[in-house]
Amino acid sequence: MDLFFAQHSLLPDINFSLIMPELIVCVVAVIVMLLDAFGRSTQRWITGGTALFGLLMAAASTIFLWKSWPGPNEAFNGMIVLDELGLGFTLVVLLVAALTLLISIVWVERESLPAGEFHSLLLFATAGMMLMASGNDLVIIFLGLEILSIATYVMAGFRRTDVRANESSLKYFILGSFSSAFLLYGIALTYGATAIAGMPGTTNITQIANRLSEAQYPPLLFAGAAMMLVGFGFKVATAPFHVWTPDVYEGAPTPVTAFMAAGPKAAGFASFLRVFVFGFPFLIAAGERNTAAQLHGAWVDTLVVLAILSMTIGNVAAIVQNNVKRMLAYSSIAHAGYALVGFVAAGAASDPVQRNAAIASVTFYLLTYAVMNIGAFTVVQLIARAGDRRTEFEDYNGIGFQSPVLAFALTLFMLSLFGMPLTAGFVGKIMVFRAAIDQGYYALVVIGVLNTAISAYYYLRLIILMFFRERTTAWTAPPIPASIALALVLTVLGVFYLGIFPGRVINALQTKPVISVSQR
Amino acid sequence: MSHLLTILILLPVAGGLVTVGYGMLPNRREENFKWIALVFSLATFALSLLLLRGTGSGPEFRFEESVQWIGAIGSRYHVGVDGVSLWLVLLTTLLMPIAILSSWTSVTKQQLAYYLFLLLLASAMIGVFVSLDLLLFYLFFEASLVPMFFLIGIWGGERRIYAAVKFFIYTAVGSLLMLVAIIGLYFIYANKFGAGTFDYVVLREAIANGTLAIPASPTEFLLFLAFAIAFFIKVPLWPLHTWLPDAHTEAPTAGSVILAGVLLKMGTYGLLRFNIGLFPTASRAWAPYIVILAIIGIIYGALVAMVQPDVKRLVAYSSVSHMGFVVLGLFSFTDYGMQGAVYQMLNHGVSTGALFLFVGMIYERRHTRMIGEFGGLSTPMPWFSTLFVIASLSSIGLPFLNGFVGEFLIMLGTWTSALSHAWLATMFAGTGVIWAAVYMLWMLQRVLFGKVTNPKNEALQDLNVRELGLLVPLLLLMLFMGVYPRPFLDRTRGPVEALLQQVQGSNAGGSIASIEK
Repeated sequence: MDLFFAQHSLLPDINFSLIMPELIVCVVAVIVMLLDAFGRSTQRWITGGTALFGLLMAAASTIFLWKSWPGPNEAFNGMIVLDELGLGFTLVVLLVAALTLLISIVWVERESLPAGEFHSLLLFATAGMMLMASGNDLVIIFLGLEILSIATYVMAGFRRTDVRANESSLKYFILGSFSSAFLLYGIALTYGATAIAGMPGTTNITQIANRLSEAQYPPLLFAGAAMMLVGFGFKVATAPFHVWTPDVYEGAPTPVTAFMAAGPKAAGFASFLRVFVFGFPFLIAAGERNTAAQLHGAWVDTLVVLAILSMTIGNVAAIVQNNVKRMLAYSSIAHAGYALVGFVAAGAASDPVQRNAAIASVTFYLLTYAVMNIGAFTVVQLIARAGDRRTEFEDYNGIGFQSPVLAFALTLFMLSLFGMPLTAGFVGKIMVFRAAIDQGYYALVVIGVLNTAISAYYYLRLIILMFFRERTTAWTAPPIPASIALALVLTVLGVFYLGIFPGRVINALQTKPVISVSQR
Repeated sequence: MSHLLTILILLPVAGGLVTVGYGMLPNRREENFKWIALVFSLATFALSLLLLRGTGSGPEFRFEESVQWIGAIGSRYHVGVDGVSLWLVLLTTLLMPIAILSSWTSVTKQQLAYYLFLLLLASAMIGVFVSLDLLLFYLFFEASLVPMFFLIGIWGGERRIYAAVKFFIYTAVGSLLMLVAIIGLYFIYANKFGAGTFDYVVLREAIANGTLAIPASPTEFLLFLAFAIAFFIKVPLWPLHTWLPDAHTEAPTAGSVILAGVLLKMGTYGLLRFNIGLFPTASRAWAPYIVILAIIGIIYGALVAMVQPDVKRLVAYSSVSHMGFVVLGLFSFTDYGMQGAVYQMLNHGVSTGALFLFVGMIYERRHTRMIGEFGGLSTPMPWFSTLFVIASLSSIGLPFLNGFVGEFLIMLGTWTSALSHAWLATMFAGTGVIWAAVYMLWMLQRVLFGKVTNPKNEALQDLNVRELGLLVPLLLLMLFMGVYPRPFLDRTRGPVEALLQQVQGSNAGGSIASIEK
């Protein structure tokens, strides 16, 4: 199974097979750029098709690594790790990228934007997200985050002539850089704090966990963790680090918004989980005068507060919105809060089995969120038409029986986002709430379900507008291009599949890769 | 035959899919949608009659199916019927074709979606009554909200949006708390036995024979409360009833029939099955307070019904009163009272369902439901008036009609119950019957009798064959249930007695002693 360079090569511990999915995505991204530069400018189906093919290949190799990879499960001196957390999130971000590609192919053409550039940016962003999922080293995670962020800044402002898109891009860039700085500072402080006698500090997450108890400068460690928490909190859009979200989501082109709400959030959660759950894990019961225990208790408690804030602020603010994209932005903040509930459970779990089940619940939650959210944005994009002009609530008045397919699909996604049984959203919520109750967080779960009840109000509002009101202005049904129809069918089926028969997916997410013994 | 219940759940969904499929045909005709729906609902009813043969008088579940559903969560697809749920399933499948027939001419817009939602609602309701897995039950309980939300919101009256949202949010809030309690129960079981379960039969068995002790207060009380609030809202028990008059009044006729006939029964069924079945100790401890709320509901609903100028609102408030009786019977913890409560659920479904049909018929003719607009309808509409009077008398509880049996049993049960001041409770509840006579008869007098005062009423059409056809089965059922309740009570006895034993056998803590005789 020595695919390219065997383990016997001159450099120690280099194993390209382990980063095969990332490599495929990067190589295809470069190919797409070259195709765009040297191919004819009318051939945007070629770049789109190539990109999609690359994503499928990457997904196939990820599944191969998961199911039948016989080799070691870490490489590059422990910088890349192969576990269910990384592989699960890799598949989620690949799915997000593929769906985004499907809904953006026609959009790029209609708005006469440079297709090849867009597709390669999307692929680079995906590669960044995959590194965030599989990186086991703070530096790799930061690298992945920056690859992702820079590509996303450009994508947000891709419609260069549009003032809103420019505003969105600039806001995202300034605040994003700010949060990256926080993260980097946190990494630096952690590095310093983990220096122990005779050895320099470390950025390797496993090593950090090992050295926690002997950390020389606990305050430095606390400050580093806090700053990383702020950085990740910004990326996954949790309150109180959420203020950028509505503006950026509203201004960015709808397919990019769909991508940003699903992809970077999932990737952010992947590395957020990895750094905190594995880097600052539960070692001994809190209450001891031990740095590790104190740090663990502190970050779990902080996340409880963040979860409550995100759910409450997201849901309450979403009620008063009049723009669908802004409403979905606040809803995405609320959903980050629900995912944090599962995160808290993963953090608090002392038993590795329970911890992995909780991590799988977060992965599953973000998978369901990605499917239903991209589905919702697909409909929003179709109704918004060229230039994203129709995104106000009143644009949805009475279209229910004029465009029944779109309206019922959107209804399904809204009910799923609410968490109606038989849809993906319900199983996702059950999973995270279950994990939290398992750890005894009853109050947090009760706050979560009350928030769900609040969210009924604004998700229903869209349904009410579409079906219960009469249309007063003229309505022409938007044409549905084949690629978007495919994305719509996939997301609708996905919502039902994950809602009715989620067993296989959940089991897969909880399954460890075959070989977990390091061969070194 | 072993999959009868699954077929019953899926057949209406299949009907819905057929309706959608037909709607995609290029040469479809709007009037055929209702035929498809009618055929499927009649087929469901016919199939559901097969349940009668297999359900005896024992407390055990029949027609059970149990397969793994979501292994990772621990939820199973476990369905089955006993003597209680059997009748509720039959009530559902009987009312569905009637509801569809009642919309035959009154629903003209978006017929495809209308019948689709009715059929989906039927599936969800059947699912609620046959689920023996808590998560599966929750799933159907919640899923029944969506079709009804659309039915009220699209085909309802003027304030339909307000009513639909209120209905949805009230019910959703209650049931979401129940979800937390369901997951909580799962882990309480898991802490004791290693692996958790949502299976009702397993949980109840473990609680009944004492192997699973739910931690006493406040845990048991909170779990009990989380379930109870969901069901109290659905019943609805005073003071959580405010969604009901709006929803009933604004819903289209078929929606009101289903709401009153079946959806409210989900609440009382849930109280019987889950609250009393899973938390016997807490049920006994809290019975006095619940009984007080039920009695307030009986009297309040009746008094408010009396002053309603709108016939439909009057019937809606009478539901609050009648459902109060059911709750009273359930929490009397006597054989008579609980069986009477189950019987009264069926009675209420039949007679209030019929009353809403009558209201729908005059609304279709006059486009108003205000009592003041009518008067002397017995002259132009003799058949209508006769049948309306019979249905009203059944709702009041006249002997030889079904309402009497249920209310009599409930009051007998309450009188003989172990509650302190049981006689006082019975007396107060008894006034509810008198009030019912007052508001129903007064309404009948103003609507049906006297001279025709409004010229618009002079030439009203009497019932046509379709209308007669959908009313007659219900009226015959009222008579039959009034004179020969045995076949019904025979089957409900087993499960009710088993529950009763469990409640009386439950370890009485210190807090219980105060309510013992």
